[in-house]
Amino acid sequence: MTKVALTLTINGQRHEVLTEPHRTLLDVLRADLGLTGTKENCLEAECGVCTVLLDGRAVNACILLAAQCQGRQVLTIEGLGRDGQLHPLQQAFIDHGAVQCGYCIPAMILSAKAYLDEHPAPTEAHVREALAGNLCRCTGYQKIADAVLAAARELAHRR
Amino acid sequence: MADRMRVVGKSLARVDAPGKVSGTAIYAADFALPGMLCGKVLRSTLPHARITRLDVTRAAALPGVRAVITAADVPDVRYGGGLKDETAFAKDKVRYMGQPVAAVAAATPEAAEAALAAIDVVYEPLPAVLDLEAALAPGAPLIHEAWESYTAIPILHREGNVCNRARIVAGDVERGFEEADRVFEHRFRTGMVHQGYTEPRAAVASWDSSGQVTVWSNTQLPFEVQNTLAEILQMPPSKIRVVVPGVGGGFGGKLRVGVEHFAAFLARKSGRPVRVATTSEEELTAAYPRQGSIVELKTGVTKDGRITAKAGRIWLDTGAFAGSGPGVASVATLVLAGPYKIPNLYLEGFAVYTNKTNCGSFRAPSGPQANFAVESQMDIIADALDLDPLEFRLRNIVREGDEGPTGQVLNGVGLEECLLKATAAIGWKDRRPGPGRGKGLACGWWTTTGGSSGVYVKINPDGTVALNTGAAEIGTAAITGAAQVLAEELGIDLTDISVVAADTFSTPFDFGAQGSRTAFAVGNACLAAAADLKRQIFALAAGQLGVEPDALTLADKHVAADGKRLSLADVARLSQQTGGGLIAHGTFIAPPTPYDTKRVEGHVYPAFHSPSFHAHAVDLSVDPQTGEVTIHKYVVAQDVGFAINPTYIEGQIEGGVAQGLGQTLSEEIIYEGGRVLNPNLTDYKMPTTLDVPRVESILVQHPSLVGPHGAKGVGEPPNIEPPAAVANAVAAATGVRITSLPITAEKIALGLVDARAGGA
Amino acid sequence: MSFEYHEPTSLAEAVDLGARFGADGRFLAGGTDLIIQIRRGKLRLRHVVGLHRVPGLDGIDANGSVTLGALVTHRALERHSAFQGRLRALVEGAEVVGGHQVRNVGTVGGNIVNASPAADVTPVLLTLDTTVTCAGRGGERTLPLDGFLVGPGQTALRPGELLTGLRFSALPGRSATAFLKAGRRKAMEISVVCVAARLTLDAAGERCAEVRIALGAVAPTTRRARAAERALEGRVPTPDALRAAGRLAAAESQPISDVRASARYRTLVVETLVTRALTRCLERIRDAAS
Repeated sequence: MTKVALTLTINGQRHEVLTEPHRTLLDVLRADLGLTGTKENCLEAECGVCTVLLDGRAVNACILLAAQCQGRQVLTIEGLGRDGQLHPLQQAFIDHGAVQCGYCIPAMILSAKAYLDEHPAPTEAHVREALAGNLCRCTGYQKIADAVLAAARELAHRR
Repeated sequence: MADRMRVVGKSLARVDAPGKVSGTAIYAADFALPGMLCGKVLRSTLPHARITRLDVTRAAALPGVRAVITAADVPDVRYGGGLKDETAFAKDKVRYMGQPVAAVAAATPEAAEAALAAIDVVYEPLPAVLDLEAALAPGAPLIHEAWESYTAIPILHREGNVCNRARIVAGDVERGFEEADRVFEHRFRTGMVHQGYTEPRAAVASWDSSGQVTVWSNTQLPFEVQNTLAEILQMPPSKIRVVVPGVGGGFGGKLRVGVEHFAAFLARKSGRPVRVATTSEEELTAAYPRQGSIVELKTGVTKDGRITAKAGRIWLDTGAFAGSGPGVASVATLVLAGPYKIPNLYLEGFAVYTNKTNCGSFRAPSGPQANFAVESQMDIIADALDLDPLEFRLRNIVREGDEGPTGQVLNGVGLEECLLKATAAIGWKDRRPGPGRGKGLACGWWTTTGGSSGVYVKINPDGTVALNTGAAEIGTAAITGAAQVLAEELGIDLTDISVVAADTFSTPFDFGAQGSRTAFAVGNACLAAAADLKRQIFALAAGQLGVEPDALTLADKHVAADGKRLSLADVARLSQQTGGGLIAHGTFIAPPTPYDTKRVEGHVYPAFHSPSFHAHAVDLSVDPQTGEVTIHKYVVAQDVGFAINPTYIEGQIEGGVAQGLGQTLSEEIIYEGGRVLNPNLTDYKMPTTLDVPRVESILVQHPSLVGPHGAKGVGEPPNIEPPAAVANAVAAATGVRITSLPITAEKIALGLVDARAGGA
Repeated sequence: MSFEYHEPTSLAEAVDLGARFGADGRFLAGGTDLIIQIRRGKLRLRHVVGLHRVPGLDGIDANGSVTLGALVTHRALERHSAFQGRLRALVEGAEVVGGHQVRNVGTVGGNIVNASPAADVTPVLLTLDTTVTCAGRGGERTLPLDGFLVGPGQTALRPGELLTGLRFSALPGRSATAFLKAGRRKAMEISVVCVAARLTLDAAGERCAEVRIALGAVAPTTRRARAAERALEGRVPTPDALRAAGRLAAAESQPISDVRASARYRTLVVETLVTRALTRCLERIRDAAS
C-alpha cells in the first residue's frame, strides 16, 4: 500500500510521519508518537476521549484521517502546560476534585480550552453545552463544570 | 474530634491528580512493550449453536499473523467464582452471541482483523433461550446440559437453568399477610445495563525465559485475576504476575478476567508480548453488564401503615455463565427486604442462565433493580393508604439497634436523618408544585464489603512515606482516602505520601477495589501499619533522646517528649543505619457480622457489613406530550459514617447519581433474537453533561463500629436509588406509574395517552 | 479498512478522480460519518478522495439568495450572522449535531450525501426548497434536494459525481423557521423524530401564505409533510389549525419501530413537534414584527 508522507505540527514541534492513508490522527499520536495522553475508546466520535485541538478547534482524533491533518497544528494534552507549569484548567480540575479515574480528563480539558479561547466568560449552561461531546462516567460533570468556570475566572484575572 | 484532625476529614487533592490532568498517567490501555503484537478475539455469531467445524489453517498462514488459538490449544478447564462453568473458548457449542471462539495475534490490527475473517467456523443452530421467562419455562432447553457435574461451592441451590436460588425466611409470612389490612402485589422489570467505563478493558502479556508471565491489566482485582489465570493456564500463581498500571473506570465491570487470559495465551504461543483490548461492540455484547431482572413483590400493611409481611422474588438474567449471578441473587434478597422493620419475610433471589452475555457486577450489584421495585411499591402503597410517602417510610424504617432481615444487629443507623434532610432540601411539603412537575423519594441500605487488606508502609530517609498497597486505584480516590488516614496517624502531610499499588509480586494482598471497601479496609490496614511504625519509631527515638518510649508523641513530622524532638527523617535514617529501615506490614480483615443462620439458604452474602443508609429526592418535570423528563434538582443524603475526604465522597455521589440516572432514563442493552441491537455508543445512551443535573450531597455521619474513624463504604450506594426516586417523581408529576427500566420518554408519553384514553 | 488516499486541488481534478474510481471510491468531506462507516465494514472502498484542498467549496454566500458550499461545516452554519433571524432553524438543526468536535469537522454536504433519514439539518433545508448542485464528468446539474434523497444512505448522485453546493432563496418578510427534535438524551442524539417548519404569512399577516414542514426519522428519507402544508396554506394559523396540521403530518409519516423508538411513539411525537414548530414560527414572526 502506498504510504503518505505527512508533516504535522504537534504541540509546536514539527513531525514528519510516514503512514498508511487509512490511519487516523489518533493512531499516529498514540502508536507512532507515543502521545498516549490522548485516549482511545469508542472510535466513533461518541465518547470524546480522543479530543485534541486541530488549528485550535476541538476534533475527535479517532475519526480524522492523519492525512487530513497535513500541514496543520495539533495540540494534545502533553502540550498544554508550559515550562513545567500546569495550565489553569489543569490546576482547576485538581483543585475542584474534578478528576476521578481521569481517562476522559485530558480530552475534557482540551474541549474546555477550545471553548474558553473563544468564550472567556461563560455560564455553567454554556460550559455544559461545550462539553456535551465528552462523556465522563465517574464525576457526574458537576465538579468538571465548576473547574472550567473557575479556570475561566483565573484566565480572565491573568489577562 | 474531626476538628482536631489535620488530614482526615479534609477535602485534599488526590495524590494521583497531576499525572491525570497532564496526560502522563499511564493506563492499561496505554501500556505498550517493544515488539508487542495486536491480539483480537473471534466471537460467536449465534446465541446458541453447536460448532461443527473450526479451522484456523488459512488464518494462521496469513502474512503478519503470529498466533492463532482455539479451545484445542488451551487447558481443558472450567473456571469461575463460586461456580466453575466457564471456559476460555467455546468448545463444542457457543452459548451467547459474542462468546470467544478463537483468538489471533498479529503484527498490526489490520492483519489481526484479516486473520479473524479467515477463520473457518460453521455452526449448527440450537434453540436459544432468549429471556428469563423462556429459561424458567417447563421443558426449557438447558444452557448447560452438564450443570450438575460442574464444581460449585456447596452453599448454592442449583437446578437446570437456575444457577442459584438464595432465600431469606423470617417469621411467618402467611401469618403476616393475615395480620395485614391490605396486601399489595406488583411486578417490575429492569433492563441490562453496562458499566460504561471510558477505558476499554485491556491487557498486555509478556513471558520471560523462566516461564513466568507478567500481565499488565486494568483489572480491579489483580489478585483474583492472578488466581484465575493460574486456573486457566494451569500454572502456579507464583509464575503469574499481574500489574495494574492505571484504571480508566471499572464500576465492577473489570473485576473478573476478561482479556488477560487471551493476551497470556497468545503471548506464549507467539513468543512476543501481546496486547488485547476490547472494542465498544465487544463491551456491549460480551462484557459483564448488570443483570436485567423481573421482581415480584407482595407486601402486607395495616391501615395505619405498618408493614406486616413481605414476600418477594427477583429473577436475575445472568446470561450464559453464572459469573457474579449467584452472589448477586443473594445480595438482592437483602435489598428486597429494604431498610425496614418487617417481622415476616419470604424473599428469594434466582440467578438464571439465558443465551446472553455473561452478566457480572455493576456498582451495587442488584441494588438498583431490587430497590426500584421496593421503593416504587412503597409509594404505591402510601398513595393507596393516603399516607405521605415520607411518613409511610418513617413508620417502617430501621433505627439504631434494630434487627436486619437476617437477624444482624444494626448500628450507626442514620436513615431517619437522611430521609428528613433529603426531603427538607427538596422542599417535600410541596410535592406537586405545578402541572407536570413532581417530587420523588427513595431510600435504601447497602453493605461495606469485607475481605482482607494488607499494606507495607515504609518511612523514607527524608521523612516521607511510601504506601505500598495491593489495591488498585480505579478512580474513586479511595487510596487517597487511605493515605489520609495514614498521614493523620503519622503526623505527616498527604503530599508526603507516595503510593505503589496493585502488583501481585511486590504489593501485599488486597481483596480488591470492589464493594465500596477500599478506603475502609486499606484505611484500617494503614492504621495497623502506623501503630507498628510508631512502636518502632518511639523505640528508636527513646534511645536517642533519652526518654521513655511511652512519653513520646508523633506530630508535625517529629517525635517529641520533654521538649526534645527528633525529626521523622532522622529516625528513618537512624533505622537504616541500625535496623534495616522503618517498615511495617499493616493488615485488616473485617470482622464477620453475626446473623441468624437459620433464616438463610443458598445465600452467599447473608448480612450487610457496616451498612450504609441513604435517601434520594428528586424534583422533575415531564413534558406532557413527548414524555421527556427534565430534572430540576437532585438531593442525596447519605450516611457515610465519617467523611474521610468530603470532596471525593461528593464526587462518588454525583457520579453515582449520574450513572444511576443513565440506567433510569436512557440506558439499556437491547436484545432481539439473541443479538444486541445497540452494540455501540450511538445507541447505548449514557448521560451527557446536559442530561445530568447538579446534585446536592448531604453527608450524614453516624459512625460505623469498624471503619477508620467510623467511615463506611461510600462508592456504590449513590447508584442504587435513582431509578425509584425518578419513578416516584414521574408518578407524582403525571399520575403514570412506570414499572420497568429504563423509564423512557416513550413509556411515559404512551402511558399518558393510555391514561387519557382510559379516563375518557 | 485500507484504501488509497487522494487530495485533488481543483474541482476538475476531483471530478476526474470521482469518475475514474466510480463505486470503488468515495469523496471525503469532514469524514465524520464516512470513517465510521468504513470502520464498521459497511463501506469497502479502494479510494478515498479528500475534498478539503479543492478551493471554493466551503463558502457561505447570503447576499440575496443563499448558497452553501458542500464543505460548509455545521459550526460555520451555527455561527453565521445571516442565519440568526428568519433562518434560525438552520442554526437549531446544526447545533444539535453531535458534539462540538463533530460540528467543527462535519459538513452540510457530507450530511446530505450520507442521506440518513434522521439527519437534523436536512429537514430544515427541505423547508427552504433547497436545490443541490452536483458535478460530474458530464458537467454540472442542479436538482431539488427533495428528489435528491432516495432512501437510507441513497441519493441521486451518479457514480463518481460530487455534490458541490446548495442553494435556496432568501425568505420574505413575515417568515420564520423553527427546528425541534426528540431523543433520549439532551445532546449527542440521533433524532427519534425531528421536525423543521417554515411559515410565511400573507401581506396582511393573517393567513398562511406558504408553509413548509419536513420530518426526520419517520420515513426512509427525511421528507416533506405535504398534506399538512396544504391544509394550512391559505388558512388563519389558529392553535386549532396548527394542531390539525400536526395531526395530518403524523398521519402522513411512515415511521418504523426500531431500537430508538416505536412507530406509535414517533407518530405521537411528530404530531406534537409539528404543532410546536409551527407555533414557534408564528411567535417568531410576531416577535420580529413587534
